[in-house]
Amino acid sequence: MLVLLGLAVLITYLWSLPKPWHLDSRTSAELARQILLPLYMGFLLPVICLGYASAAIADERTDETLVYLLTTNIPRPLVYLSKYAAALLLTLGMALGGLAALCLVPGEIGREALGVFWTVTVCATAAYVGLFLLFSAMVRRATFLSLAYALMIETLTGNIPGFVKRITVSFYAKSWLYESGEPLGLAPKEGVALSLFDPVSAATAQWVLGLASAGFIALGMWIFSRKEYD
Amino acid sequence: MNTESRVTTALAEVRNVSKWFGPVMALNGVSLEIGSGITGLVGPNGAGKTTLLRLLTGQIKPSLGGIDVCGRDAWSARAKDHIGLCPFGDATWDELSGRKLMRVTAGLRGFTGAEARRRAESVLETVGMAKRADRPVRTYSKGMRQRIKLGQALVHDPDLLVLDEPLNGVDPVGCEELNELFRTLAAQGKAVLVSSHILHEMDQLADRILFICRGKLLASGSLAEIRDMLDDHPLKVRLSCGSPRRIAPQLLTLESVKSVSIEPPSDLLLEVQNPGRFYAEFGEFAAGNDAQVQRLKATDTSTEAVFDYLMERAARPE
Repeated sequence: MLVLLGLAVLITYLWSLPKPWHLDSRTSAELARQILLPLYMGFLLPVICLGYASAAIADERTDETLVYLLTTNIPRPLVYLSKYAAALLLTLGMALGGLAALCLVPGEIGREALGVFWTVTVCATAAYVGLFLLFSAMVRRATFLSLAYALMIETLTGNIPGFVKRITVSFYAKSWLYESGEPLGLAPKEGVALSLFDPVSAATAQWVLGLASAGFIALGMWIFSRKEYD
Repeated sequence: MNTESRVTTALAEVRNVSKWFGPVMALNGVSLEIGSGITGLVGPNGAGKTTLLRLLTGQIKPSLGGIDVCGRDAWSARAKDHIGLCPFGDATWDELSGRKLMRVTAGLRGFTGAEARRRAESVLETVGMAKRADRPVRTYSKGMRQRIKLGQALVHDPDLLVLDEPLNGVDPVGCEELNELFRTLAAQGKAVLVSSHILHEMDQLADRILFICRGKLLASGSLAEIRDMLDDHPLKVRLSCGSPRRIAPQLLTLESVKSVSIEPPSDLLLEVQNPGRFYAEFGEFAAGNDAQVQRLKATDTSTEAVFDYLMERAARPE
């Protein structure tokens, strides 16, 4: 995870350097559009989330230590909720730390972008962690399932025109960012790009992300409290 | 075949429990009670021992029937207040030191601060790991891991202690120490359920034994009681005496003696139909016939022998 983050920071640093073909200073909007949206929101954030959340229960199963949690007097839903809280805390630390690093590497221009991105990051992280922890409660090899989801559903489906992309977390995160990042010019203004993406309002996106997080947690608690783990 | 009358206060009760995993029936209509004292759980691989232990510790639910531990459904969190499990295998949180692991385990059981530390130290002392508890668990030998896992099971002072092969990998001196610990816990009124494939361990350790095979409970009770009930397998008794050739024909006159064979120089091998009756008859016989008895020993009352007989019986067509 740290290697990936280091690579992303390196890419951002190289991007921020003046080039012969781009002598002007980089702007906040460029940082947001060219680095934070595709690299961070589109790739790094889901990967960071799956790295911690999908392992939270599945690794305990693989290591055969889950039995110690299942035979304590803590009700299973509470065990699950604790796992969610722990995974969320770790993931938020890494996700926000990574975001701060990417925003601050190019200097002053990152401050404005950081202000726009951090709230969306927190909510998207809560949803991703809820989803990947749910996978972790369901299957032993949750990391593979989570990777498949992140790479296939989030990345591919997220770029398909129409309504299908609305099953992805990143769609709502982007919709929110397009509205709250108005000064950065993040949203496609007109034409094909706008009609292809067709974002929902920031308020709707916030509701959906919040409800999705709560739904994933509730479903995970229900499954975890009933499942017989081997 | 069971002698359930011996269980005075049942801490765990298994009522007509069946468990399926897909098409595989792991347990089939098992009913038993586990009271205070040491209960051995014996059976071949695939008999259903692990399934029974997992059911008792609330890791899985029965497909049919019910399991109560201290009056509560074994699946419930409240029942787990009363259960301590030492699982099979070496797995535990390896990166922690033994001491930290005990404190974490105490924390998971709801003890905090000084109480967690007190319990951790006390249990480390009990399992003989106090002086080695600052090392990471990953550096422990198999025997040390067994002890630390046992500590995890004991930290909340449970009423029912479920031990899956607890002596696996423990050296002979350690085995004796742990067996002594189990006896001490049993003497305190706890129910200690020990699953083991080393049958001779059970001879000295267990007050009661549960024999299980192909998902069914073949027999339960004390070893002597179960042996007595195997009337299709006469008890084999070795008798060392002064004049075997003289008393061999006389022994055949006893109703309980089925056969006698001479094992030179001075032993007789008897097959006895009704052990209780035989011992009574033999006492009178020895006193009245100047038998010069040096030794009288049943040779097939061990757990292993009884287990073999039970398996043989189970393999017979109905």
